[in-house]
Amino acid sequence: MESMAKAQTNGKTEIKRLSAKELAEITHPPKYETVEERRAALKRATTGLRVKVRVTRDMYRPR
Amino acid sequence: MNPQSGRLPATRGVFAIEEQQLVLPDPIALDTSLVVEALLATQPLHGVCDAFLTRIFDSGVSVVTSELLRAELAETAFAIAMKERWAGKWRAHRTDGRTRPRAGRLLNNTLARYDEMLGSLPHISVRLGQVADSAPQIMTKYGLASYDAIHAASAVAAGAETMATTDTGFALLPASLLTVYTDRSRLASCRRKRPR
Repeated sequence: MESMAKAQTNGKTEIKRLSAKELAEITHPPKYETVEERRAALKRATTGLRVKVRVTRDMYRPR
Repeated sequence: MNPQSGRLPATRGVFAIEEQQLVLPDPIALDTSLVVEALLATQPLHGVCDAFLTRIFDSGVSVVTSELLRAELAETAFAIAMKERWAGKWRAHRTDGRTRPRAGRLLNNTLARYDEMLGSLPHISVRLGQVADSAPQIMTKYGLASYDAIHAASAVAAGAETMATTDTGFALLPASLLTVYTDRSRLASCRRKRPR
């Protein structure tokens, strides 16, 4: 039997959408419980990482 | 003549992340380019992208990322260390043992920050194998490069209708497939690229 994921499309193109079951398997809640902890984690992530060069697209993705 | 008068420019499904009235869809997909700007304080769009992540946090929407994003971040950190030492010739020195310790520390630091970012948000992490068939479809149908196509296919697969990015390449997709949220300086370029 064809899986539900293969049968489902977004209605505009044939690009595949994941089934609810597949989505559930890769959906993660925030690691931290409280809003304060989560906000602090985001702040830690985005604060203070300084480097001496400017990152350009070609440093991580070929054209 | 009043410069404010006349018809508003067509948005073509491209909007500025600086716009405070912008509605955040749930979920919203993140491209590597936006995450790089948000995590690295020395990047020119750091403030804009950091503020946008905070808006995502405050609004409570989920983010969609491809597994590829983590690998691209690792490559970014490695390349930074090489470029800091070797400037324009960094590609010829990937195996240089004197630079790799710094590259390793920077790589671990960057990935730890990415994990912290994801740990603060509800998120959907799309596996590469889940878009193995649809990414080539996007390449052939719309002309996206392979890595861009993986990010786009991941967004669509997870039900995201918007890609947040500082890469104008995603504008090659029709607006009916993915809305593009980008920084203000790229609005015109993205809108020009949209297929008519």
